[in-house]
Amino acid sequence: MASTDLEQKYNFEIVRWFSVASVIYLVVGTFVGAYAAAELAWPALNFDSPYLSFGRIRPLHTNAVIFAFGGCVLMATAFYSVQRTCGVRLWSDKMAWFTFWGWNLIIVLAVITLPLGFTQGKEYAELEWPIDILIAIVWISYTFNFIMTIATRKSSHIYVSNWFFLGMMVMITYLHVVNSLAIPVELFKSYSIFSSVQDAMIQWWWGHNAVGFYLTAGFLGIMYYFVPKQADRPIFSYRLSVLHFWSLMFGYVWLGSHHLHYTALPDWAGSLGAAISIAMIVPSWGGAVNGMLTLSGAWDKLRTDYVLRFLIISLAFYAMSTFEGPIMSIRVVNALSHYTDWTIGHVHSGALGWVGMVAAGALYHLVTRLWKTEMYSVKLVNMHFWMATIGIVIYIVAMWISGIMQALMWRDYDEFGALTYTFAESVAAMHPYYVMRFVGGFIYSLGGLVMLYNVIMTIRQAGTEPRISAEPVKA
Amino acid sequence: MNSIKEYFQTDWASMTLHDWLGLGITIVVFIVMIAIYSYIFHPANKKRLEAMRNIPFDEDRVNTEDKK
Repeated sequence: MASTDLEQKYNFEIVRWFSVASVIYLVVGTFVGAYAAAELAWPALNFDSPYLSFGRIRPLHTNAVIFAFGGCVLMATAFYSVQRTCGVRLWSDKMAWFTFWGWNLIIVLAVITLPLGFTQGKEYAELEWPIDILIAIVWISYTFNFIMTIATRKSSHIYVSNWFFLGMMVMITYLHVVNSLAIPVELFKSYSIFSSVQDAMIQWWWGHNAVGFYLTAGFLGIMYYFVPKQADRPIFSYRLSVLHFWSLMFGYVWLGSHHLHYTALPDWAGSLGAAISIAMIVPSWGGAVNGMLTLSGAWDKLRTDYVLRFLIISLAFYAMSTFEGPIMSIRVVNALSHYTDWTIGHVHSGALGWVGMVAAGALYHLVTRLWKTEMYSVKLVNMHFWMATIGIVIYIVAMWISGIMQALMWRDYDEFGALTYTFAESVAAMHPYYVMRFVGGFIYSLGGLVMLYNVIMTIRQAGTEPRISAEPVKA
Repeated sequence: MNSIKEYFQTDWASMTLHDWLGLGITIVVFIVMIAIYSYIFHPANKKRLEAMRNIPFDEDRVNTEDKK
């Protein structure tokens, strides 16, 4: 790199805003989730208000954690790492700010419309058609800016983290637009253009790929940049990372049909989804091992580097949930697990363990680099780590037990062929586990609050120091 | 099911345009996947590909050298 490039000015201000917004949304989104969990344990907590009912609070929680928290993390990390790996400033600062304010406007609209009951009733795609159009426009602005930044790069090769981010951006554009195709009948009411089982298939083609591309490929982009940077060692195998990328791109789009076993969807389609799901264990574990082995020969760093702990344990959860998911997609296992809390446990081991932990690690890394200071309290980072880990374990163990118990109660019948338990009896049996789930989720949320406090104090601590926008940040 | 032949029996005449498109795309994607995997694992490409893993550190290295 020529010396003139050292004068290159990056746009770190946009990354700062997205980073702070991420931490705020982490706290808000997880506490709303904890409240929804409390409602299941103590239904009186909805106070007979439709605005607080579980059916409206739950999509608010999922939208807040996936799109508000997850989206801001993806935008912060993608905008940061693409500049650092390409050696150029973002192609358009104005477009980046449009992305920031547009994305936050969408979040505000979600906060207003979901409690009011405006919903398409499609999981992870609840928002009504005007907001869907806005999402598409803002997402394309994010994607276009990212692509143009890569197009103006100084380096000859595009680093693998950018491939993952780009794969996510392209696929989410395609998935979101197709799944959101609808006929509007009112300002906040529309009907999908697909009908019956085709609608279900398109919905789960989107639904699983929201997990596969948004929450996996995008966050793997984070992993492939931030794990090497935090460990101060290059990724264990670049070839394995390329293999990981292409396997995910080719494989993930096939999986959605495994959500529709024992429905009107033809058996062959569900079985195809399950078969490819099993095949996906190989590249997923290859990627997880690739990230972990980056520490090969330097495992002692885990003893002292708390941020690295977040990043590495996230890979353990990534490996665990990418094994559990394919197993649950097998027909006989799915017959037991589907419609039970086991699915909720699986989703949260991935969401809290993989997405939440890798995001926290990346955000801590970013805060110290962007504000050019150490964290206000390393002890609080450590406390956050243990609160998050313990919270996740309590949550997923509760849901595993609850889910399997539910399934066994639902399918149990007596010698006359009548069901042994009523549905209400199975609900009553779940109560202790719903309380346990709330406790786990609440501890995880408190961990997020600790992080927010630590980040605010770190920024205040750095307040009087000069900004680093004009010079490359020492990693 | 009596035989492998019966298992793989296909009524080609009833294939719609969408069926043919899906089949074609699947075969093309499969061939591309094999080609990419062959490229990644070919020993001749190992050194070139593995050199790319240092990209996140290139900038730091230049900065450090510059300061010296």
